Amino acid sequence: MTASKIPANSNWASPLRMVTGVAVVTFLVLFPRFVESPYALHIMILFFLSTIMGESWNILGGYTGQYSVGHAAYFGTGAYVTMMLMQYRQIPPWYGVWAGAAVVVVVALIIGSICFRLRGPYFVLASIAVAEIMRLSAMNLKELTNGAEGILATEIPPLKIGGVIITDFLSKVPFYYTGLAFALLTIIVTYFIQHSKLGYCFQAIREDQDAAHSLGINLTLYKNIALVISACLTSLAGSFYAVYIGFIDPSTVLPLDVSVQIVLICIIGGIGTIYGPVIGSLLLVPLSEGLRSNMIAQAIFKTGMVSEESGTGIFLRENLSHAHALIYGILVVIVILFMPDGVLGFMKKLLARRAN
Amino acid sequence: MAILEIRHVSKFFGGLAANADISFTVEEGMIVGLIGPNGAGKTTLFNCITGYYPPSRGEVLFNGVSLKGLQPDRVCKMGMARTWQKVRPLAKMTVVDNVMVGALCRTNSVKTAREMAMEQLRVVRIEHKAGFLAGGLPIGERKKLEVARVLATRPKLLLLDEVMGGLNPAESEEIIQLILDIKKEGITQMVIEHDMKAIMRISDRIVVLNSGEKLAEGSPEEIVGNPDVVTAYLGESHI
Repeated sequence: MTASKIPANSNWASPLRMVTGVAVVTFLVLFPRFVESPYALHIMILFFLSTIMGESWNILGGYTGQYSVGHAAYFGTGAYVTMMLMQYRQIPPWYGVWAGAAVVVVVALIIGSICFRLRGPYFVLASIAVAEIMRLSAMNLKELTNGAEGILATEIPPLKIGGVIITDFLSKVPFYYTGLAFALLTIIVTYFIQHSKLGYCFQAIREDQDAAHSLGINLTLYKNIALVISACLTSLAGSFYAVYIGFIDPSTVLPLDVSVQIVLICIIGGIGTIYGPVIGSLLLVPLSEGLRSNMIAQAIFKTGMVSEESGTGIFLRENLSHAHALIYGILVVIVILFMPDGVLGFMKKLLARRAN
Repeated sequence: MAILEIRHVSKFFGGLAANADISFTVEEGMIVGLIGPNGAGKTTLFNCITGYYPPSRGEVLFNGVSLKGLQPDRVCKMGMARTWQKVRPLAKMTVVDNVMVGALCRTNSVKTAREMAMEQLRVVRIEHKAGFLAGGLPIGERKKLEVARVLATRPKLLLLDEVMGGLNPAESEEIIQLILDIKKEGITQMVIEHDMKAIMRISDRIVVLNSGEKLAEGSPEEIVGNPDVVTAYLGESHI
């Protein structure tokens, strides 16, 4: 095996990166001024949501190597706390979000104290079990969660600062900016983690737990720190989703699907990297929306390869929107087989090969 | 003063005694060789000392303080560090990052840790590989990386588990020099090794284990002349 040379200390504040970053953020900030289509904004909001979820999981799964497949527990808890406070106690969601995050920290510490006794595949199974317990509890604690009927947000109080109404949350634009802000927050948090002692300790645990332990890293402490940060940010995503969609029930915010979705965003984009989850979201959100709204089937008909009236055409039109999970599965298999470091890792390798 | 005191340590795995009533002390500044046939319980003893296994009986004192119930990370913070027989590089991190993880045991600043890490890489002479991924290093450099990483934790006592295993003679010689340099720094070392020439050369004292029990203890000359050790481990050709 030959040693591969990689930059010893890539300067993350290099001018090119700064300019690109500022340009992208400026573009995203100005986007709603030029694009008024609610559908386009909806897609962007889903993209932000997916980025928040992916970046959050990445801290625990990507950097610390603890593959939790139960992040729906934190997503759902955040969503429920925010919605319950809003519907039953009339507490505005921009306070509820932080209450949700605080509750999730407690939940995460309890889950961590149980699951971190286990390693590898056993940890994965335990994390799934805990999320399922949360889902079943939400189903059955009817007084608290309204059970399978879910909670519908009847009205969102306007955001006021000192008596001045900043926004009333009637259009998609305020959600767009909230989503953007949360997404940037998760990216910034990841940045700081990667360039701090935490990042080194997390990655050492991921690479070799016993070696990390012998080098003075307190495994329980650092795993719990990673879990708390990750769970807290995931709960922001859950609260945001709840308020944006306006309705939650156990099967939309607490199912295994959500947990798996969160992991896929990272695996496809590239785990343990700052921009992996962004790339993953950039690929998965349009794909899943395109399938769901049958846009992909329509696009195939437009190319003229398949006639809409032919047998294949009818089959595609009727089934492609339901093939969502199947196509996802195929995509994951392709990525794992051919791009084990995700799309981002694959692109880096290509660039390195061209540079040589 | 004894930096390490092992008092009647036993470790049982089911009915098997991997270590049975082992006692000895390690004086500060010395190199103590730990030898014995495969399965004699050398690595198990290291694991008992550094907190990976709680000893079934007995206790270990480091600088006069009992290590009972302490986890490996606490033991490392107290100043005792170990390497692994099977090297454990943090494969997807760079060489310098690996050593930084060790240095971060003593500092919270990433910048200071990087400086400390580069210093240790110079000590083991692999500073030119700082930016390479640790997983891609050949075995000789992996062993050196392992040593640099534990040195970065600023240990008072270093436990080296077969750092010369699998190396060619030239590489072994470099490691021997390194161990002697580390001794000059005043760091006490306990070394598990199968290369008898090397162990005789570097050790101030040698402890021999056989089937989990302490067979003999003494200076290298005493050990070579001990008939029990010759029968159990060294063989007739060594006399």
